[in-house]
Amino acid sequence: MSSLRLVARNEWQLMRRSRVAQIAIALLLVLAGIAAITSIAHRNANDDLRARFQAQANSEFDGQPARHPHRMVHYGHFVFRPLPPLAAFDPGVDAFTGSTIFLEGHRQNSANFGDVRQSSLLARFGQLTPAFVLQALAPLVLIFVGFGLIAREREAGTLRLLTASGASPGAILGGKALALSGVAALMLIPAGLALLWMMAAEGAGAVAAGSLLLGYATYLAVWVAAIAGVSAIASTPRAALIALLAMWAVATVLLPRVAPEAALSVDPLTTKLETDIAIQRELREIGDSHDPDDPHFEEFKTSVLQEYGVDRIEDLPFNYNGLLAMEGETLTSSLFDQYAARETAQEKRHAAIVTSFGVISPTIALNRLSITLAGTGMDGHRRFLEQAEAYRFAIVQQLNQLQAEAVTFADDSTRNSDPVAGRRVRIDPEHWHEVPDFTYRGATTGERLQAAAAPALILLFWLLVAGLFLREARNYVLGAH
Amino acid sequence: MALWLHELRLFARQRVAAPALLLLLMLGSMSVWNGLSEIAHQRDVIERIQPQQEADISAVADFVTLDGDPGYAAYYTYHATWDDPSDLAFAALGQRDVAPYVLRVNALALEAQIHNNERYNAELALPGKFDWAFVLTYIAPLVLIVLLHDLASSEREAGRLNLLQSLASNTRTFWIRRVTLRYLLALAVIVLPFLFGAAIAGSSIGDSLAVSAMTALYLTFWTAASLLVGRLRWNSAANAGVLAASWFMIVLVLPALAHLGINAAIPVRQGVELTLAQRETVHAGWDKPKPETMAAFGELYQEWRDTPPIEGGFHWKWYYAFQHLGDVSVEDETLAYREGLEARDRWTRRVGYLLPPVALQHALHRRAETDLRAQLTYQDRIRDYHGRLREFYYPFIFNEQEFSRQDFARAPLWSR
Repeated sequence: MSSLRLVARNEWQLMRRSRVAQIAIALLLVLAGIAAITSIAHRNANDDLRARFQAQANSEFDGQPARHPHRMVHYGHFVFRPLPPLAAFDPGVDAFTGSTIFLEGHRQNSANFGDVRQSSLLARFGQLTPAFVLQALAPLVLIFVGFGLIAREREAGTLRLLTASGASPGAILGGKALALSGVAALMLIPAGLALLWMMAAEGAGAVAAGSLLLGYATYLAVWVAAIAGVSAIASTPRAALIALLAMWAVATVLLPRVAPEAALSVDPLTTKLETDIAIQRELREIGDSHDPDDPHFEEFKTSVLQEYGVDRIEDLPFNYNGLLAMEGETLTSSLFDQYAARETAQEKRHAAIVTSFGVISPTIALNRLSITLAGTGMDGHRRFLEQAEAYRFAIVQQLNQLQAEAVTFADDSTRNSDPVAGRRVRIDPEHWHEVPDFTYRGATTGERLQAAAAPALILLFWLLVAGLFLREARNYVLGAH
Repeated sequence: MALWLHELRLFARQRVAAPALLLLLMLGSMSVWNGLSEIAHQRDVIERIQPQQEADISAVADFVTLDGDPGYAAYYTYHATWDDPSDLAFAALGQRDVAPYVLRVNALALEAQIHNNERYNAELALPGKFDWAFVLTYIAPLVLIVLLHDLASSEREAGRLNLLQSLASNTRTFWIRRVTLRYLLALAVIVLPFLFGAAIAGSSIGDSLAVSAMTALYLTFWTAASLLVGRLRWNSAANAGVLAASWFMIVLVLPALAHLGINAAIPVRQGVELTLAQRETVHAGWDKPKPETMAAFGELYQEWRDTPPIEGGFHWKWYYAFQHLGDVSVEDETLAYREGLEARDRWTRRVGYLLPPVALQHALHRRAETDLRAQLTYQDRIRDYHGRLREFYYPFIFNEQEFSRQDFARAPLWSR
């Protein structure tokens, strides 16, 4: 044990004197700093902007003049997706999903104005964020600093000196890996500080932030073991470097692009246009509110008349048009929910396929863990879509109910021909204030931790494999056997 | 020639050289195949929406023709538009995965429709497409680095450098031959799958030549970089390290920083602002005195200025008039938004003067018509089409003319 520590201390001192290591680590720390600062600023600016737009939309809604309630249904509402605090660490899909939806009656609109469509193709080069620095850059720097750990000393013949002083191959390899872990720990410092800032200033949860850091630490530990092991096995330092660079390119650059293609070819998407047509077709099959003889709506009318014991809709104690609108909205919304559920199921299948690629690339596993814990994956966006749809349904029904209760059937029927009725159907704008504002509820820490379990397990699997690999590599430390 | 063949034999004997080239060939072919199948899928989608669209319109016709109200026809009929992929799109898929290439519009205000998003899984879009442009931009330089980083240093390390240089009749031509051989092999390996794909996709000779020339230039940059680092006379491992670090900075970090800078310098929040503003004008239209709205519309469409005044609370011509006025009211914002997007694209091209990968991607996607500009061009075509649609419906609506089943077939068609 003490010889292991000795080796580690020696190696650590060697690294501190190595110009390459100094430059590489300094570069990483500078980039990590830039990434953390710009990322936090970017998140805050975006979140503020969305909050401002949301406030504007809320006050514009409340400030509408006296109107027929159904006109408010089409005036609709805008909702904006706020950014979770940890989006500053890993913004995930934020730039790739629209951040705002226009909500109106009978229609489900897409979330629009995602950054990716508003940017040149530079957006596709990736974003400089703390997550990117640790996922891609940190392993590369570890490779540069560590590829020669064993290979270089063996080539220079200094390894014999170490063994002569009584260090076992295991202690040598372990000590060197420990020294490299020190570098990895150093790299985690800017990220840790950024996370502390997000906890203190933005209210990020300590458990989620801590788990995030732990995930990244595990990931870097896997790389440390891989680098030390390859350095022990490779015949020359150059061979070690080339092998490690190839591993890095495959794991962090190539496979993350290949995995989505695999998911899409197994399970292709349908376009929004086709979904819209399908929904319209199903709606027509259920019932056509334009058709006075439509069986579904005829049946609905009969049952309402029966319930209230009257013969004509004019005799109902409320405005039948409002009730009809509520029934129509219930039908369309249930279809929207069905289609949304199908889309959700497909997205989950996609995610499962991509996660399974984590078994051949730890970067994919870490990426899934990271966006899940940060709440910036499709899970988070889907929550927004679901809550927006629930909110849409609630306010549309509230307005339809106003039509049923605050507007008489007689006025409603003659509003276009009788100017007095036309004025009466414009109800008191005080009602618009009764419509609640939209508040987005993000996933709780517990939900996020649960969703992150699968990628976390895969990362642990990697740690185990890396540890076994390192153990095996002991046998190569002193040269080919 | 014999010398070249000899050089090739020596090269083939190297341990990592041939596998690296083979890997590049494999990835290049896979990416071309992936691009071709993606484009085939997109063409297939465009084909398969046509009968669905026809069925949808015929179902709309079924209830509209009950009373032949042209207002309902214009309201409920959605007209399909689509953006066919170019013959080069397979090589650089660009933004076609996140921007719609099929979109339906009706005759209502366009600003509320034109920004609609396609349905895609953002998690799958996030890492970027695996297309040939990706393999060329990201992977090919790495392979080139593997081939070139130890050109002289490996000979020096093996103790052969002085011997080699003294044996060669001309040291300069000897090194030129070595470098050229590696450069040409890498170029061939990356260009061949592309040319193969281009032949299948039916790309024009001009496009194929242009893309090949871009590729040659891009690889020249990385060859020059490798040779430059080689002149420092460091050992092979140090060369590889410096080159890989440069690759990382030039291909990943600096473009990301440029992206941050450009988006911060040219904010385009007008997108949201103009939809918020457009909704306000459209809906304020309900409360404005009708003659005022009709007069404003009459300024734009003189032929409908002298139709009879509106009696009662509602008339379709008034409704469609204020829909259009809503669009017109945000014309300045729309223009500003568009100019912001174009400025972002322009600055990206300028960044390309400093960063070859950005220049390459920009040029490739421009030629393949899969970039931001192509998106805007598609939007322009939709705007134009929407104008023709409105003008098709106006005579029915303003003349209160019955809209018959045949009229559905007379609506202007989207032209490829």
